[in-house]
Amino acid sequence: MKPIEVIFTLNGKDTRVSSDPNRTLLEVLRNDLGLTGTKDACGGEGECGACTVILNGKPVNSCLLFIGQVMGQNITTIEGLSEKGDYHPIQKAFVEAGAVQCGYCTPGAVLASKALLDNNPRPSDQEISDGLSGNLCRCTGYKKMMDAIHLAAERHSND
Amino acid sequence: MTEILKTIGKAEIRKDAWQKAAGKALYTADIPVNNLKHGIVFRSPHHYARILEIDTTDALNMPGVLQVLTAEDIPGDKIFGPLVPDQPSLAQEVVRHLGEPVVLIIAESRKEALAAREKIQVTFEPLTPVFDPVLAAKPDTPQLHEDGNVITELNVQDGDIERGFEEADIVLEEVYHLPRISPGYMEPETSLAVWEQDNSITVWVSSQHPFTDQGFIAAALDLPVSSVRVKSSVIGGAFGGKEDSSLSILAALGAQAVKGAVKLVNNRRESFLAHPKRHPAQIKYKLGAKKDGSFTSLKVEAYLDTGAYSSYGPAVGMIFTETLTGSYKIPNVQVDTYVVYTNSPISGAMRGFGSPQSHFAVESMVDLMAEELEMDPIRLREKNILHPGDKIFTGVIINETANSLPICLKNVREIIQRFQAIKPSPGKKAGVGFALASQSMGLGANVPDDSTHRLEWAPDGRILIHLGSPDLGQGLATAAEQITAESLGIPFDQVVTLELDTLDSPNGNVTCASRMTYMAGNALIDASEKLIQQLLIHSSRILDVPVENLLYKNGQVIKPDGSKVPAVEFVSRLAEESIVLCSESTFSFPYPEDTTPQHLPIGMPHVLFCFGAQVARVEIDPELGTVDVTHFAAIHDVGKVISQAGVEGQIEGGVATGLGYALYETMLQKGDRWVDSFTEYLLPTAKDLPHHYENIILEVPEASGPYGAKGIGEITLVPTAPAIANAVYDAVGVRVTKLPITPERILGFAD
Ligand code: FES
Ligand code: FES
Repeated sequence: MKPIEVIFTLNGKDTRVSSDPNRTLLEVLRNDLGLTGTKDACGGEGECGACTVILNGKPVNSCLLFIGQVMGQNITTIEGLSEKGDYHPIQKAFVEAGAVQCGYCTPGAVLASKALLDNNPRPSDQEISDGLSGNLCRCTGYKKMMDAIHLAAERHSND
Repeated sequence: MTEILKTIGKAEIRKDAWQKAAGKALYTADIPVNNLKHGIVFRSPHHYARILEIDTTDALNMPGVLQVLTAEDIPGDKIFGPLVPDQPSLAQEVVRHLGEPVVLIIAESRKEALAAREKIQVTFEPLTPVFDPVLAAKPDTPQLHEDGNVITELNVQDGDIERGFEEADIVLEEVYHLPRISPGYMEPETSLAVWEQDNSITVWVSSQHPFTDQGFIAAALDLPVSSVRVKSSVIGGAFGGKEDSSLSILAALGAQAVKGAVKLVNNRRESFLAHPKRHPAQIKYKLGAKKDGSFTSLKVEAYLDTGAYSSYGPAVGMIFTETLTGSYKIPNVQVDTYVVYTNSPISGAMRGFGSPQSHFAVESMVDLMAEELEMDPIRLREKNILHPGDKIFTGVIINETANSLPICLKNVREIIQRFQAIKPSPGKKAGVGFALASQSMGLGANVPDDSTHRLEWAPDGRILIHLGSPDLGQGLATAAEQITAESLGIPFDQVVTLELDTLDSPNGNVTCASRMTYMAGNALIDASEKLIQQLLIHSSRILDVPVENLLYKNGQVIKPDGSKVPAVEFVSRLAEESIVLCSESTFSFPYPEDTTPQHLPIGMPHVLFCFGAQVARVEIDPELGTVDVTHFAAIHDVGKVISQAGVEGQIEGGVATGLGYALYETMLQKGDRWVDSFTEYLLPTAKDLPHHYENIILEVPEASGPYGAKGIGEITLVPTAPAIANAVYDAVGVRVTKLPITPERILGFAD
């Protein structure tokens, strides 16, 4: 297939890639742009959430997005959260609450949490577990992730 | 006076968490390499078939293809296996399970390798597969391997079971069925191998045993071990499943063939089909008890399905066998365990290593027995639990750690009362259940189990741990850092763990068997003492003060006049003299001769145990049969908490995995294929976990443990499924004997 030019905003920067249109955003991020913080745990079948990125404020599985679909869109990956060397409050909360074990699910879970808190600054337990339900984690049992989200929410409202 | 501990027991923040949360931690698939080539494996489309011909010509002619390898192209050993060499790296003559590797394609890009795979032509002659281990164990069933289908038969007996059953007032028998489940780590198996110009090779692995990988790779490539360097990358979970070298051997073979860098990544489907799973089990369990509740006799016949190749099957059979009496004293026991080859996917090591299977039988049966005896199930357990000094049927004498069992039960009683007082939601039926659990530590008697680790005092004053065993994500490095910091009296922040590299790391042995904090911890305490000695010897020379007049405390050398010199001053000065302060120590898992029975096969018995209990409250929709675990409490004795967050994380994660075993997970056979994706194989999500959750962590010290610590990694998922099953019975009166507890089973639509 003929490569296409795709222009989009990635972590706040104008980005231009040339790619086969049938490749996924996940592949382009990892292989062309060297952004390996976005993971694949289910084989790109939309089942694990390890490849979560934020598309115009909403969490999406980047393995299910063809690169052509991001034309003109705004994408945030995990690398975009701590770009200036400072960790995002949600990253801090994950680390401090002990929500990171093997860490493979962490980038996706952090981004899903960010999208959740951006839309709902004081979520209930129920809303948090709904918000995280697309992100599989085999290590933590999700408890400390939920604690982390509460912690980030509390700190935010105290600011 | 006992010293106050500075870091032991604290919820220190693990140092690798920052990089992981930032997406900067490099897992094997993330490591940037120049001129990288990509491997793809052609896998068997049959459960069982003879290979008549492999034609790779067309594939080789595809664009971008560099090499196409079959078993014939392997220069060294074509077969490997951690306990029994029975597994071909690439199939020869016959394939014994769906997804078995047959051909390895190396191409410039993954896409080209995938396209070439379509052109591989293999002529198979399908054979009739066998999937039922009981059938496979029969001598007239076609045998998959030369030595027959029963790879391990364990017959252990103690006392006289017939007499025991005669003495019993009630004898109950039940058959329990446990499913094949996946370790389900989020990072699929990956390996990256780089052929170096000096004809050596460097291989990055996501593995629990890099030193074992090193040996298998050297043997397959026909290289001296010294030409194979294995490096541990950041590991995205393992849970036993990454005690398997198959993918790293293939990556290394590929790199050797193209004399370059080759990456191999399993996708999730390949991971399901070709990597070790938890053994499915069929357990016939017969227990006798007197009216007063005391157990008199136990007879068990069990079959474990190890699939096409043995992996760790024989060893799983042992821990399974040893834990069939659970946490109880039973005077007469006979166990016959068969570990059997079938044409199913390989079963091997997985967190719990046989104990989750045995405990589902034990703890379901003990509840059933309580009911038949019309006795409180806690009271029945209190009557039969092990006490220090008790001898179990393997001949092992249980040590002081069994003192935690009555404490577990006391907690269970209190929690059950609370959970029972909660009213069911409208339209739901509620029930509360619990289970006890035991889990062995260590690799078993007469299996070499030495763990070596090294400390280095860096010129800037930091302590570097050359940890000889990989941190799988569970937090081993943090525990090692806390123990080292405490032993040297220096701040936790000043201790750093280096990534494992077989070139210069000591061999700490495989990370598994609930014993890594214990092994590494003991070695590091000893290494710390040696490091202090060295520091004092050198300071004595520099200060010109006899060594016996110097003291060390909290990172400082104390001179006879009481003045203190920071250790870093000596260490940096020594660095100028090109002297590095280093110390190494080996800890060997203790099997005291007088208490370790010698009549059992190698690998048996295990002599140290961890204990725990879990309580579940469920709500069931009587129309739909759906189970919601609403409340949960996990009570675990860890001897001594080293890392608070680490221990809690192990428990919470274990419970989630146990809940998946109880309610959702099973790698079913569907027609001619296996369930091989997360679409059909359901892992618990954040929505499935109990809304109310409690950890109760006990500290009954283990005399041989570092600061009294023992293991926690595996036991955390052992009592979960029987506790939930017992709660389900309490709610709706259905005794489920097959996992997972699906709505169909609750409603009686499926057996
Ligand atoms: S890789 Fe699993 S959802 Fe995208
Ligand atoms: S931390 Fe390992 S999968 Fe979530």
